[in-house]
This record gives sequence, C-alpha cells and structure tokens, in this order.
Amino acid sequence: MSLFDKFAEVAKARADLDRAEIPPVATPIDAVHSATEGTIGGRRVILAGTNNYLGLTMDPDVVASARDALEELGTGTTGSRMANGSYANHAALERDLARAWGWPSAMVFSTGYQANLGSISTLTGKDDYLLLDSDSHASIYDGARLGHAQTVVFRHNDPDNLDRRLRRLGDDAKRALIVVEGLYSMMGDQPPLEEFIEVKKRHGAWLLLDEAHSFGVFGQHGLGVAEDRGVVDEIDFIVGTFSKSLAGIGGFCVSRHAELEHVRLAARPYIFTASPSPAVIAATRTALEKVVHGQALRDQLWRNIHQLYGALNELGYTLGSADPGPVAAIVLPDRESALAHWYGLLDAGVYANLMIPPATPKGLNLLRISLSAAHSPDQIDRIIDAFGRLQQAA
Amino acid sequence: MTDVNPAIHQAIQDAVATSLPELGDVNFDAALTSDVGLDSVQIMDLVMEIEDRLDISIPVEVLAETRTLNELAVRIAPLCEDGAA
Repeated sequence: MSLFDKFAEVAKARADLDRAEIPPVATPIDAVHSATEGTIGGRRVILAGTNNYLGLTMDPDVVASARDALEELGTGTTGSRMANGSYANHAALERDLARAWGWPSAMVFSTGYQANLGSISTLTGKDDYLLLDSDSHASIYDGARLGHAQTVVFRHNDPDNLDRRLRRLGDDAKRALIVVEGLYSMMGDQPPLEEFIEVKKRHGAWLLLDEAHSFGVFGQHGLGVAEDRGVVDEIDFIVGTFSKSLAGIGGFCVSRHAELEHVRLAARPYIFTASPSPAVIAATRTALEKVVHGQALRDQLWRNIHQLYGALNELGYTLGSADPGPVAAIVLPDRESALAHWYGLLDAGVYANLMIPPATPKGLNLLRISLSAAHSPDQIDRIIDAFGRLQQAA
Repeated sequence: MTDVNPAIHQAIQDAVATSLPELGDVNFDAALTSDVGLDSVQIMDLVMEIEDRLDISIPVEVLAETRTLNELAVRIAPLCEDGAA
C-alpha cells in the first residue's frame, strides 16, 4: 500500500497519452516565435490553443514595461503585501482596475485561480450560501471548498433552476452569492446574464461574475459580457485574470461595493502568498490600457472569430456554442476521433487543445481552438484548410 | 436499503434512469466512483436530477461524505423533512 495508489488510474491514462511522440496533454512547446507561432516537435506551428486573445504577450510596449520594472525593482517582491510590504505599482494597478469599471474597489491576486479562491471563500462565511453554475471552473468549486458557506449547484445556464434553489432559501437568499462565468471556456458558451440578474434581484441575492475568458473580448472597453450587455452596475463582484487578454499572470476582483476592501483582511489566498512580481504588475498596467482602448484589436479578433465559426459551420462540424466567441469548441463523437483531429491538425501545423472527460461537461470529447487578434487572415485560412482536409479524410 | 424512505428511493431510481440511462439497474450499495465508475461531472448531473424530483437543494458538502446511493438517500432524508436545504 502506498500514498500513490490513488493515482494509478490517472497515471495510466496519462501514460497512454504519453506513448505518442508528441503528447496531446501538457504538450511541450519547444519555442515561441510570436503571439501566434511556436515550435512543437521540431515543426513550426500556428498557436491556436493559447488564451492570448488580444495577442499582447509580445506587444513591444507591454514587454518594455516589464523589462523596465525588472531592472528598476528586481525579479520578485519576495513576500506577501500584508506582511512584507505593498509596492506602489500594485496599489496603482488596483486603482487602474477600479477606474476601468468606475467602481470604488479592486484587489489584485497572484493568479486568476487565487482570485476566485480568495474572493469566493472569503465573501461567504459559515452562515451564508453559495450557488454555483454546474459548469463552473475548478477555481470556483475550490473557492467553495476553502470557505465555509453551504454550497448548492444549479443547472448550467438555467435561471429557472437557480430561482428554485433561491426560493427554497427563503429570506436566507439575501445571504446567497451566485457565481456565473461570462464565457465558459470548455464549450465557449455565454450565460443568460440578464435573466440571472432578474432572479438575483427578485431574491435579494448577490452576483459574482467571472470574466476570465470574456474580459478583453466583449464590450466597448473590453470589460467583458456585463459591459457588452449594459448590465455592469447590476453585478456585485467581477473576477478576472491577467493570464489571458492581459497577457501576464495574476488575477483580480473588482466591486461596486467599497467594502471589498475588508476581504483583503481575511482572504487567505491573498494574505498568505507572495504578491506578483514587479515586472508582471508593470506589464499588466500597460496591457490594461491597451485593452480598454483596444477596439481595433477587438475588431480584428472578431473578424477572425466570424471567419472561423462560419467555416466550421459550413464544414458541418458541431460546435459547443452557437454564439461565436474567442473559443471554438468542436464536439467530436468519441475520444479516438478527438485524438485523430488533434494529431491531424498538428500535422497540418496547427496546435489546438484536446479536452476529454472528466474535464469536460456531459462527458464530451472536444477539440478547442482559441483565437487571437494577432492571428493573421492567412493563419485563419490555414486553420480552416486543416479542418477541411480532416473532414474530407473522415 | 430497508430504512430508506421509499419516496426518496424511487426518486433516486428515476433520476438514475433519466441522468444515467446507460447504467440500467443500479446497485444502491455500490460506490459511485470506484464501483460504478462515475466521474464528478456525472455525479453532479445525477444530484441535480434528484434535487429537481424531490424539490430540495443538496449541499455539495453532503456529496463529499457520500460514497453510495444508499448513503446519499440517508443524508438527504432530513432535507426532505425540512423542505429546504
């Protein structure tokens, strides 16, 4: 008997995938040449499996900001802001974020995962309730596990199902925090946000919206689906990440409630961890400016989105969401065909994401393409051509 | 199985038939993960189906302490009596 016995099944699954020369999970990327090109297995490929939605990882201004901060402030903060000192730029980034939404309060976390972990576990206590969409990201479920609130799950994107659960709470619904996402990254679908808001208001509950994948992509200033639908001020808390459109690593929570500041005093994933490095903070501040004023980037991204979605529909592929977005999830009939598509695309010079159960909803086998404003029309054509050849060969 | 409320037992059985028809007749004493082979997403789907049939909310904390459908039936019995989660 060993502590490692419990990993036998997952280790076998991983070994099966690793038998291939290039594994489709944790695929080694040997080199990165630009926001959309890298080398995998000795071959130059189009990167269509990253979350670099606006292509800012290689933006010269963003890179220069990081380089300047690195030289001026060093490689790390070496500790928590609470215990070891709070750098001026960390606080400045929080002011930038709060200003973007026109809200009074923002908190920066060291990762997007910790932003959900810290916000959700701390906002709700043992006498409160959490209502989570069933397709929520692991960081949301883990936030519930770290906290002490009673947690109930409602059916994905189903306001009526949420309504029934809030109704059962009666007056206690006023101490309930609902958590939904702006864009669900597995299927690429969006929530019926206006209907969720109506249900929330009917019961006097609170709403946290995770805009990890939608920030930068939707809305006039790229603030996400809440801005796009004109309902920002109906949301209580918005959580996001620096590691997608903002091209760094870290996360944030912003709120129209100034009392978010109190969360800083009690959130363990905020207090008991090192704050982000100065270079990451500087790069994120510059990237945030580019997102807020980045309509040209968004226009290019949406041209790419419509081109790919249109072509995949024409080729007869089943997509995870009818609504176009930066994530195109192609639903394949089984694991073998998903694997065949993944390798077929790689052979054609396209790196995508393979998503298989139990990571996927409803046991689906998915191939996921993440688009970027930095993808050129020629690169989108090559991705479409690769799918076309795979479809012909099937 | 004898001390489980028949209405709860029936609701679970119906929920399995709807949510996981491929399982056929499910053994209420089988471990949902190691014996039946369900993953966390399948278990969550099943629980939401049971919730709708019994008009209760089952806290996810209950699931962490539940291995079999019989154990789940016993744990949710008080929720049915309260009429609320």
